[in-house]
Amino acid sequence: MSVKKNSGISQPQKLMIFVLTMSLYGLATLMTELIPKFQVGIVEFSVEYFLFIPLSLAMLFDPLSAALGASTGELVFSEIMLGQFGGLGELEKFLTVAIGVYIAGCLVRNPKNVRMVGFAAILGVILQQFMGMVVDIVKVQTAVAEFEAVPGLPESVFFTEGFAFLNDVLFSGILFCMLPTMYLVPKLYGKIEPLLGMKPRQAGVPTVRAQAVGTQTVGTQAVGTQSFEERTSAEPVIPAKAVVLSLIGFAVAIGAEYLAESGMALIDWEASWAESSGAMAAGMGVAAAAAAIVIFWMKRNAQLRNAA
Amino acid sequence: MLEKLSENLFDKISIDFLRNQVMKNAYGNNDTVIAALDPRILLLWYLFFGLAPWFMKDVVLLLGMFLLVAALACMARIAPLVLFLFCIGVFTQTGYLLLISLFFGGNMETVAPLLVMTLKVAVVSLASVTVFSGLDPDRLANGLEWFGCPERFSFSISFGYRMLPVLMEEFQNILLSYRLRGNAPAKDTFVGKVRWFVYQVKVIMMAFYPLMLNTAKRSRTTVEALELKGYRYASQNMAVKRIRLASLRLGNRDIWFVGISAAWMAACVGFSWWVRGGML
Amino acid sequence: MIRIEDLTFTYPGAEKPSLKKIRLHVEKGDFLAVIGNNGCGKSTLCKTLNGLIPHFISGDMEGHVLIGGEDTQEQQVGSLARKVGYVYQDFENQIVRPTVLDDASFACLNYALEGHEERGRKALSMCGLKEKEGDFIWQLSGGQKHLLALAGALALGPEVLILDEPIAQLDPFHARQTYEILEKLNREYGKTIIVIEHHTEYIARYCKHAILMRDGEILWKLPAREALRQVEDLEESNIFPPQVTLAAYQLKKRGILLENVPLPTTLEEGKEAFSSCRFWPCVGRHQEEKPLGEVMVDLENIRAGYRAVKGESRPIFDGFSLKIRRGEKVALIGSNGAGKSTMMKLMIGLMKPEAGRISLQGQNTRKMSPEEMAKRISMVYQNPEEMFIKDSIEADIAYAMRVRKVPDWRERTEKLLELFHLTGIKDRDGRLLSGGQMRRASLAIGIALNPGILLLDEPTANLDIATRHEIMGTLELLKGITETVVIATHDMQLVCQWADRILVLKDGRLIADGAREEIFADREVERQVGIQPPEIYAMGRALSEKADCYTIEEFIDCFQEMEVNCFQEMEANCFQEMKGEGFGYAGEAV
Repeated sequence: MSVKKNSGISQPQKLMIFVLTMSLYGLATLMTELIPKFQVGIVEFSVEYFLFIPLSLAMLFDPLSAALGASTGELVFSEIMLGQFGGLGELEKFLTVAIGVYIAGCLVRNPKNVRMVGFAAILGVILQQFMGMVVDIVKVQTAVAEFEAVPGLPESVFFTEGFAFLNDVLFSGILFCMLPTMYLVPKLYGKIEPLLGMKPRQAGVPTVRAQAVGTQTVGTQAVGTQSFEERTSAEPVIPAKAVVLSLIGFAVAIGAEYLAESGMALIDWEASWAESSGAMAAGMGVAAAAAAIVIFWMKRNAQLRNAA
Repeated sequence: MLEKLSENLFDKISIDFLRNQVMKNAYGNNDTVIAALDPRILLLWYLFFGLAPWFMKDVVLLLGMFLLVAALACMARIAPLVLFLFCIGVFTQTGYLLLISLFFGGNMETVAPLLVMTLKVAVVSLASVTVFSGLDPDRLANGLEWFGCPERFSFSISFGYRMLPVLMEEFQNILLSYRLRGNAPAKDTFVGKVRWFVYQVKVIMMAFYPLMLNTAKRSRTTVEALELKGYRYASQNMAVKRIRLASLRLGNRDIWFVGISAAWMAACVGFSWWVRGGML
Repeated sequence: MIRIEDLTFTYPGAEKPSLKKIRLHVEKGDFLAVIGNNGCGKSTLCKTLNGLIPHFISGDMEGHVLIGGEDTQEQQVGSLARKVGYVYQDFENQIVRPTVLDDASFACLNYALEGHEERGRKALSMCGLKEKEGDFIWQLSGGQKHLLALAGALALGPEVLILDEPIAQLDPFHARQTYEILEKLNREYGKTIIVIEHHTEYIARYCKHAILMRDGEILWKLPAREALRQVEDLEESNIFPPQVTLAAYQLKKRGILLENVPLPTTLEEGKEAFSSCRFWPCVGRHQEEKPLGEVMVDLENIRAGYRAVKGESRPIFDGFSLKIRRGEKVALIGSNGAGKSTMMKLMIGLMKPEAGRISLQGQNTRKMSPEEMAKRISMVYQNPEEMFIKDSIEADIAYAMRVRKVPDWRERTEKLLELFHLTGIKDRDGRLLSGGQMRRASLAIGIALNPGILLLDEPTANLDIATRHEIMGTLELLKGITETVVIATHDMQLVCQWADRILVLKDGRLIADGAREEIFADREVERQVGIQPPEIYAMGRALSEKADCYTIEEFIDCFQEMEVNCFQEMEANCFQEMKGEGFGYAGEAV
């Protein structure tokens, strides 16, 4: 169980960053629940979130750990602790926040470059909000039967979501994400690292970021390392892996919604087919679901029992 | 009107109040009927009530579900703040949508589908509030892990459960530092109020700077201690998982719970047929 | 049990090694104290024992550490944790689970040991936490949390236990309790115990051996009491030997005690060593009556409490009244949870009473804005880190004055930095300072607005003894700025040297209020609250019923063997002592 030294940042240090981001962002989301929203006409002045916290940490440390920590923190503290856990709906926010923070963190290679920090921060927010918007639209489409047929609804959904997107990016994004990040990152840089027992990362010099004086093995699997190496190279490229990962994540996020939509069609179809023998169809459906649950239950029990 | 309401609320809601509500919610109701149930059953129950409404068109059935879920929410003794946030969440969203769609040439025909949607949202949200708020977080973590959730996640829940009071207290103290030493703008006039509000939000944000550094100090010890306690070793070990999850057991209560829910749903289905039959 | 051979360790990026050529053997069943000034490598040494170094914290390590004959370098942290338990100084962060039993058995669970709950329970009962097993962590007091951290380490059944400053945050009652448990573990269960400790009284009472470290090296390892007699060595490392030892040392220097008398380290040894000394009551010892000043704080019939998470909330205070006058130096004592912090919070307006009236200088606080209150009263938290809200201490001190547009805030900030010897480090972040610097900075922040009343919550907690003396000196500096000071503390030495009025709280009631003579003479108070006067007072009492000495100087003056015709000299002595009271101890001892 010794420290794995093959990546720039060691496993426990990743855990440290995860724990740190989780606690802080979790608390921050709790706070934002408290701050009331103001609405003037259709423009909303609300504090959507304090994304500057995970953004700053992702830029200073390992972006992946910070990104996962942020989404987990939000889920655990503000949703579960406050009892607001939306269940499956939270999956979407979990993924979009993680992706936004991760990409923003990967973009910055020199925390002292304030412009870069600001750009990355706002880009992260835009990405997150955009993904959120798409998911929201899909959601309404799913929830309302014959969505297109309801007069005025499609337009209004597109309009409100689009407007909310702009609103959030321009108001929350700039005030509560971009500006504080630009203020915090250079301030924290070099100060917070020693508290965690790490060395501050240096711009342009590869492999100095972590204190683990590790041998740089080729072909590390850890995404963190990959992004880190690339980040410290001369040009600010978004690592290919980050893009792929993000795309997959996003696909899952809306995939869930599309699945739901097709599921609706399925039920519709079933319903028309079952006009005559409705009771039997419903019964069969319920029985199938129950059987699936029981089988899974038993399998899981066995799995755990065998683990000994 | 809305502004006035939120203004009043902000006066009442302080960090102290929030802390209290959260503590009540997270630690205070582990003796309710809901909390005593097997978390796995509750999760499955939630899976149904959280998903099914989205695919339903039958208003009667939805209403029935709503009644059941609301009754259970009462039994779970959810904290008032949570319920309040829940209501706000449900009604602002659809109300807003309605206004806009009227603007885009909607009419009364638009209202009906939206009402149905509100009902769906309400059922789903109430179900989640009941399950995830009624259940104490530690048991929820166990339940999720049983279903194959990553161990890191369930650890995070327990850890959050442990750290929350500590973090909140520290945050509160830092905020108090600002309050005692800062100089908040007077809030007699409207402009003053806005400025006061902006100041408060700014202070909350600024308070995170010291908090970040203080928490960084903490997490170092925590992670070292976790290492000593073998946490990393355990997260890959199925045997550990088995021991940890051994506390999950199905009981009579759980069967009753499932039974009653199922019976109620069946009754609703029957009733809805009867209504439709009557109309035809 | 433990063998360290030529261990050298350098942290990554550090210029000098933190440990230099350490050689140390610890026998099985030993109770070892590690002493040394801050930054001498004590904690680093302890972390090499449980394998955190080199497995978790990387760096250059040479030499070997053998636990029970096996090299730590070849073992995993997990298997080492079952041999060596570790309790951190900031133990609060070591507790990771929400409930007590859960945390105690967490490690056993992780290593998949059979009957993990049983093991946890056993460890809890060893630490006296048996009936708390179902509680949530936040329901525990500080002392109980520490014991829980200990139980968590114990549950794995290690043979060696390491504790980093176990009693730094505990009141004397809980401190004794902790050490008694450690002693039991050592004696009954045969555990080898290593403590990093500044409180030499406890070393004298409980430890078997002690090592002194300086600059990453071990100076010596001696039997505990023998070690404490090396007064010069200890003082050079900023460690203060027990008061009894120091007193005897001073008397020896003056030739009153004979050279061949061994220096005492405990009360029992003291009785013998001082047997040749005669008690001589000092004249002029009584305090002059000060005229009563203006009432600064007035609490009338206060009822206050916290909302409970479950069920009925029970008020902490009910019908509580208190007046504090200008110029008073008030010490607030009582065990953890007696209501000290709540009282301070009430005074400063962070908490509103449910009933009753709080006035500051005759004005009701209910109608006061926070800004107005801040001008009258100020508070320094127990945890100075929570006072640092800016990125340099200069900005922190200036903050309150700047935002209130105090006209000469720049000059005042500079003056305060100067006064508290902070000018050289004014650009550093408060959190990265040493303990003593942090306290000084927090005091400077506290008095920036020139408050009429200053409240200090545990100003000497978590500090090594040398830094404590430094803080006591700093308190003297406050004299010119703030006349009325209230300190909540467990530190009886501080109380005796500094306070002129002592308030004893228990369960939200004021059970005693008076000067130190009245408080410490009151057996009933001692019984109820478990407060203990400083060791030197007990020593004096043990030698003579009439002795009333609270500081080493007083003790020396009282027990000088004097001829009657030296009366005049004695008077002069007393006069000197009066002048230097409070401050004198630190000055003279060094």
